[in-house]
Amino acid sequence: MTDRYTPQVVDHLVRPRNAGEIPDPSGRGESGDAACGDIACFTVGISDNFLEEIRYKVYGCAACIAAGSALTELASGKHLIEAARISKVDIESALGGPLPAGKEHALTLVLDAMHKAFEDHWNRTAGEMLLEGGARPATGGKSVVAAMSGGVDSAVTALLLKEEGYEVVAVTFRLHDGERGSRSCCSPDTVLFARDTAHRMGLPHFTLNLKELFDRRVMQDFVGSYEAGRTPNPCVACNAHVKFHAAAFLADELGYHHVATGHYARVEEGPALARPVDESKDQTYVLWPVPRELLSRTIFPLGDYRKTEVRAIAEERGLAVAYTPESQDICFIPDGNYRGFVRKKVTAEPGDVVDREGQVLGRHAGVVDFTVGQRRGIGVSAPAPLYVTEVRPNSGQVVVGRKRDLEVREVAVKDLNWFLEPGEASSIQVRYNGGPVACTVEEGNEGELVAHLDEPVVGVAPGQSAVFYTEDGERVVGGGVVARRGS
Amino acid sequence: MMDPVYLDNAATTPLDRRVLESMLPHLGGARGNPSSLHSFGNDAREAIDGARASVAALIGASPEEIVFTSGGTESDALAVLGMARSAPLEKRHVVVSRVEHAAVREDAGHLKEEGFEVSWIGVDADGVVDLDEFTAALRPDTALAAAIWANNEVGTVEPVRELAEACAESEVPFHSDAVQAAGRVRIDVSETPVSTIALSGHKLYGPQGVGALYVRGGVSPEPTVFGGGQEKGLRSGTQNVAGIVGLGVAARLAREELDRRVAHERALRDRILAGIETIPDVQLNGHSERRLSNNVHLTVAGVEAESLVLFLDSLGYAVGSGSACSSGGHKASPVLLAMGRSDREAFSVVRITVGKDNTAEEVDGFLEAFSTAVARLRELSPLYAG
Repeated sequence: MTDRYTPQVVDHLVRPRNAGEIPDPSGRGESGDAACGDIACFTVGISDNFLEEIRYKVYGCAACIAAGSALTELASGKHLIEAARISKVDIESALGGPLPAGKEHALTLVLDAMHKAFEDHWNRTAGEMLLEGGARPATGGKSVVAAMSGGVDSAVTALLLKEEGYEVVAVTFRLHDGERGSRSCCSPDTVLFARDTAHRMGLPHFTLNLKELFDRRVMQDFVGSYEAGRTPNPCVACNAHVKFHAAAFLADELGYHHVATGHYARVEEGPALARPVDESKDQTYVLWPVPRELLSRTIFPLGDYRKTEVRAIAEERGLAVAYTPESQDICFIPDGNYRGFVRKKVTAEPGDVVDREGQVLGRHAGVVDFTVGQRRGIGVSAPAPLYVTEVRPNSGQVVVGRKRDLEVREVAVKDLNWFLEPGEASSIQVRYNGGPVACTVEEGNEGELVAHLDEPVVGVAPGQSAVFYTEDGERVVGGGVVARRGS
Repeated sequence: MMDPVYLDNAATTPLDRRVLESMLPHLGGARGNPSSLHSFGNDAREAIDGARASVAALIGASPEEIVFTSGGTESDALAVLGMARSAPLEKRHVVVSRVEHAAVREDAGHLKEEGFEVSWIGVDADGVVDLDEFTAALRPDTALAAAIWANNEVGTVEPVRELAEACAESEVPFHSDAVQAAGRVRIDVSETPVSTIALSGHKLYGPQGVGALYVRGGVSPEPTVFGGGQEKGLRSGTQNVAGIVGLGVAARLAREELDRRVAHERALRDRILAGIETIPDVQLNGHSERRLSNNVHLTVAGVEAESLVLFLDSLGYAVGSGSACSSGGHKASPVLLAMGRSDREAFSVVRITVGKDNTAEEVDGFLEAFSTAVARLRELSPLYAG
């Protein structure tokens, strides 16, 4: 490390390549903000996935100006996949060696601005399609778009695929504004971290902005469910409408065949969704809504590994993500305060807490504060613990009862998505951490399926997912949303 | 290619050839320690005493009021830390302007950590210290007040005499950093009742690594360095004889040539100011009249400081930047922020400081280079729509 700029930096400073702005660009990206001081702005002209033109502007130190200039030179004329592979190290090499200490942010800044221009291009290309979550049939060969969140699972996913000989493109989705440090180029940012991880593996990296889609399909549904007295599952909603569709969109645009995520599940011929090797990490329960045509092109490399093995692989290959903490909460509510989140979005009306017979036991501040099975915060004293057994948004009533009142033997399921013949369904799982219970199924009204459970289960609430498994319990037959339940 | 042109004389000045020659006998061959009793020691001591008299003469002081140090920063520390720490225990308050050199600013911050209360005195948009606010801040428990004689960034010359008189009236010791002012502004301690003044060799065409502190008779700061008791116990350590001799000659030349140098610098400075008038959206910072003869400090809209400095460097002109960009982003100058500038404005500054050896041709060449650099960087800037 030296404190003096290389002659190459000075050359790029005095004779910046590709300076300026394309008047009618395919995409435009800006990085940096007033607090950092430095600002970079890139415009790109893209045709048939080739970067035909790239222009940049920078307000910032010599390192920023030179890094931007060198990056445009490296990227100009390249296929998007190759441009998206250009790393900080590549820029430094083009500048004749490492930048002086403290100047490394220049590399992050200009790369981020270029990638935001690519992101803008994808969003313009996708238009309504990405918004609607549409997808096209698969093409291509041994190639895969791998979703990369910045965590250990998705990083190892991409790594395993690369080592298996796939052409891998990594993609990170911008889903909401609650992401850590997402407003500043100088603070830790999950997108920047994911990009670094991809580039260290030599992989191209793209970002897609799915905030509008995610808001419409996941966050509004989350709030609406509470309002309607249903229990939402945002991960299911995301898998049903967002993540897989977006990955498939990018794959289609690049002519790639597969999509991959870091879920713990397996895809078998059919396609059939099967439980993973590591049962403790089984995510098949939240994957039931992935459309068949998308599942058929999906790879879940982690389905064949235990979580401990995945961490070991990350450590062995020196991935910085090996030590990232396990994410537990809903991604857009990092503090875990669901009620607080919902309360900010809706106004809650007070109402009665009643028992099964309709007798008023107390008052509550709003139905959005309650879900079926909840024990805490009911505010009514009773000799034995009380549970929420039903939420009635229309009358504003919260019904409470004993634990046995939560027992359910019959579940009506709607919005079904099948991988196998419905007749193969011989057990049902109604909670993420609950095991399957043997059942028999029959067709109900209006396309619903009614499952008769061999033994009662507790904590089944409308809005939750109900997932059917085969007789050996290994494969998902299909799934849907709990509409009603009976005892 | 032409030799690079140096226009960053506020950072350091070239070493005057006459100064260098005065130092050479002390840099080679036999030499004495000024504390030694033998003839070698006597020679060294006499050389230092000669320098002491020259430095004293520059500011109208007596030779025994001059303490040699390693430079401006050490002089500031000895004055600010030393006087605050030597004050009676009940005096735990200091008054400091918001436009101090980093040395005094950081000393004051250090005193805060030692438990002193610090009153930071504001300035107007030109960087002139608010005399009323300053005066009002002086209290019976004030151990020390400090204000820079002329600001090292924007070049504003402060009303030091009035500030010093206010302190004298309140019987508060007053320190002034005159590192930039010395040799450009007439300083006379018999007219201005300062307690201490910091001076530096290398801003006066003297050597780097040597400075002086004027300490008025009767003022006794606590030393910051202890040992052999040199410099009347205020600055222990064998003196930098060659450096001190150089400083002495530099001080003598500065006094003898002051009027000529100031007139020369002012002509060059004003030539620059006239030359940049054709460039749009460039603003002069600092007071237009109460201003160092060599200083041009500009905000250049839409252009980041470091890139401008390096661009000019590549064209052969060395100027100063007022901002440092690092991993945490830019750090805006506290002086410019105190003058009411925004962060963005403070990131877009450049300091051009001429010296006695610069020429009108150099300035004209600079103006051309400056115009080119600004235009090119603005073309590249997303923050400038020209």
